[in-house]
Amino acid sequence: MIDTLLQSLDTLLLVAFSLCALVGAALMLVLRQPMRVAIALISTMIFLGGIYGLLGVHFIAAFQVLIYVGAVMLFMVYVIMLLEVREATEAPYSRLLWPGLAGFVLLVGTIGISIWRGAPPPAAVADGTTFGISRFSVSFLNEYWLHFELTSVLLLAAVVAAVAVIKVSRKADSKRRHG
Amino acid sequence: MLTLIVLLPLLGFLLNGILATQLGGNRVGKPFVIAVGCGLPLLAFALVVNLVFDLQARGWTPLVETAYRWATVGDSQFEIAFYFDRLSAVMALVVTGVGSVIHIYSVGYMAHDKSFGRFFAYLNLFLFFMLLLVLGRSLLVLFVGWEGVGLASYLLIGFWYDDLANARAGKKAFITNRIGDAGFLLGMFVLFQALGTLDMDRINAAFAFTGASAPAVSASLVGILLFIGATGKSAQIPLHVWLPDAMAGPTPVSALIHAATMVTAGVYLVARMSGVYLQAPEASMVIAVIGVATAFFAATVAMVQTDIKKVLAYSTVSQLGFMFLALGVGAYGVAIFHVVTHAFFKACLFLGAGSVIHALGGEQDLRKMGGLAGRIPVTFITFAVSTAAIAGLPPLAGFFSKDEILWYALASSSGGSVLLFGVAALTALMTAFYMFRLLWLAFLGRSRMEPEVEHHVHESPWSMTGVLLLLAVLSAVGGFIAVPQFLAPQLPLPAVQETMQHFHRPLLVLSVLLALGGLAGAAYVFGGPPARAEALRARYAGLHRWLSGKYFIDELYEWLIGRPLVWVSDRVFLRLGDRRVLDGALDGMAALGQRGAALLGRVQTGQLHLYAWLVLIGIVGALLWSWRHV
Amino acid sequence: MDKTQLLLGLAVSLFALGLLGVIVRRNVLVMLMCLELMLNGVILSLVTFAYQTATTVGAVLVFLVFVVATAEIALAIPIVLLLVREKRTLNLDAYNELKG
Repeated sequence: MIDTLLQSLDTLLLVAFSLCALVGAALMLVLRQPMRVAIALISTMIFLGGIYGLLGVHFIAAFQVLIYVGAVMLFMVYVIMLLEVREATEAPYSRLLWPGLAGFVLLVGTIGISIWRGAPPPAAVADGTTFGISRFSVSFLNEYWLHFELTSVLLLAAVVAAVAVIKVSRKADSKRRHG
Repeated sequence: MLTLIVLLPLLGFLLNGILATQLGGNRVGKPFVIAVGCGLPLLAFALVVNLVFDLQARGWTPLVETAYRWATVGDSQFEIAFYFDRLSAVMALVVTGVGSVIHIYSVGYMAHDKSFGRFFAYLNLFLFFMLLLVLGRSLLVLFVGWEGVGLASYLLIGFWYDDLANARAGKKAFITNRIGDAGFLLGMFVLFQALGTLDMDRINAAFAFTGASAPAVSASLVGILLFIGATGKSAQIPLHVWLPDAMAGPTPVSALIHAATMVTAGVYLVARMSGVYLQAPEASMVIAVIGVATAFFAATVAMVQTDIKKVLAYSTVSQLGFMFLALGVGAYGVAIFHVVTHAFFKACLFLGAGSVIHALGGEQDLRKMGGLAGRIPVTFITFAVSTAAIAGLPPLAGFFSKDEILWYALASSSGGSVLLFGVAALTALMTAFYMFRLLWLAFLGRSRMEPEVEHHVHESPWSMTGVLLLLAVLSAVGGFIAVPQFLAPQLPLPAVQETMQHFHRPLLVLSVLLALGGLAGAAYVFGGPPARAEALRARYAGLHRWLSGKYFIDELYEWLIGRPLVWVSDRVFLRLGDRRVLDGALDGMAALGQRGAALLGRVQTGQLHLYAWLVLIGIVGALLWSWRHV
Repeated sequence: MDKTQLLLGLAVSLFALGLLGVIVRRNVLVMLMCLELMLNGVILSLVTFAYQTATTVGAVLVFLVFVVATAEIALAIPIVLLLVREKRTLNLDAYNELKG
């Protein structure tokens, strides 16, 4: 097995990226300051993007970095900066630390065993063109156009909700100032 | 025909009970009540007389009439059937005859009572059940009548229920009866299990066999169990306590139910089941002993009672004891003879007492009477005749029946003994004494009445005095009706011991002497100045107190049975059983629900961490569950 | 241990770590970020299955999940902001009004 690993750069990179993603995720639980946690998450996400690329779904990898890191995590970082959270005086862990760890071990164990037992062999290996953007977009808009429309409705709802939140926050502000 | 006789009083009960009471709106007047309430029993009596002639024409073979098949259980049938033979004829005649005249008496006695209709309804109901009792063929029908007369007795004792004491007396009668009925029921169960039938004629026939084909149950056991029932109904020791209290009811009730008919139901039962008792010498001995003991005990108490009705009540208990004594020594026909004569003179005595009470406007205390002989002569004469009859003066009815009892108590070869005779003779002496005491205190001597009461003394109306006269005549000549000989083909007289044969004539003389002795004693003590009676009482003050307190048996029962029962009911059943266990269980279940809910509610702490952890555990659990099918 | 198993194992670990973080960390913002980590684990597993079966269904789902995640974060953060302004603390233990 180690031979094949060493012989295949592809697989090596995959393993390396996986390890790094795992390390980043683990760091998230350990670091105290929120900003540092955010950075760890960003790094995990970028490594995941690398994995997607190695698997051949390049546009997904692109979207991961563009949307997830570029929009979602940026928003998160802005909020952390806004709230100026620096101190970490209080204990970082809740009361359920040990029960949580126990449950974590159980969960990983259970799913791990399930996967180890029942993973089917790979049916077909995808080549570069399977997930080419042209083919993807054709199949997407032909078969999954309904889902596309529904997500646009979802985004509309999100916009409306955002406006509502602004209104609520303005009302709360004014009540605090004048009430 | 038999069914019709039984149903006539029931019809009277329904008509009067619905139309003449508050229940139906008091739609009818007194004439209707009297017509139905007295007319139907009289009609029943006429039908019974007719039936007796029919029976004679058939050569006295018993008449059986099945009215209705009640139930079929497995192989056994339970029918409502009626049986008419010599014994039933005698009893039915007494019940309908004396019953009807007492109904007529009640017209006058209860004339001013506001529940006139209800009284006659209850009386008719009683008559219906009593006829069921004496005419029934199987023990089951008899038992229905048995319980029914108990019910009617309860209703009538507590007739004036506004006074709580009356209601309590009714309750006491019913409950004491029920205790006896437990024995009766056990006897029925034993009989049915052994013989498969409850028809009395069949039971008697089955017990006639001895040796190998005898029934597979001890006759003595059956005899004792049935006698326990008779003890309750006929007020023998130890269940006699209800009869004196039953005097709380109106006097016609005391006459009809607690003198002439209901209390003799026990005697009838034993006589009817003579086939069993002939094979049960031990049971017969028990009956004789209890009978004579009751007779003696009640006579001693009667000597010091101050209420006119209480004296008569204890006298009834005592006379019933005599009847059971006769039954115990095998003289069943003689006991029934005494039932008949006792019905005549005791009913006359009670109704006479009712007349006295009516004349005195409600006074019942003997210490406040006296000198009534001239004021209410008819009552006095009839009362005197009946007193002489019960004391046993010849040639009145009581002499014949009591003499026969004394004779067989001494000389019967199935249980007669000198001891039994001695106690019975002493009791006879006491009977004469206390009855004449009653006569003297109530009617003779100087008046001790309250002035206003004395002013209003008046003779009773003809509806009452007419009945008194009739009953007095019957008390006088009733002894000449040769009842034992009439019943002898069915209830044979016991054989006489040879050694006693020649005591018969002397015994007759002794009986007369006893009666006269009692008369003389009473005349001496109570006929003279009051100081004599007072001196006698002062000399035996302790004994007097003991007797006045009725040997404190009621208090004994209360202390021995009543208080522990109340204690158990309160402590065990109420506090422990009902409140702690039952209520506690229910409250506990409610509390369980509440506490369980409170406990489960502790999951909602509001902390998101806990919820997320529960989600994790849920996922693990679901995954483990899905492994079942891997 | 082939690619699929490795990647699925990684996806499970990321999901589990994210869930653990939700349970364990006290800071609200860190909890939000752990939620995102969970979501990333799910996306990785979707991609793995798409790769394994060589169909486009997985990729389409991933695309849609991106949209949903974005919408979600766009709303979650303002809500958190408002809450934090009310409670003046980022400690999740303070947010327990649903108790009982």
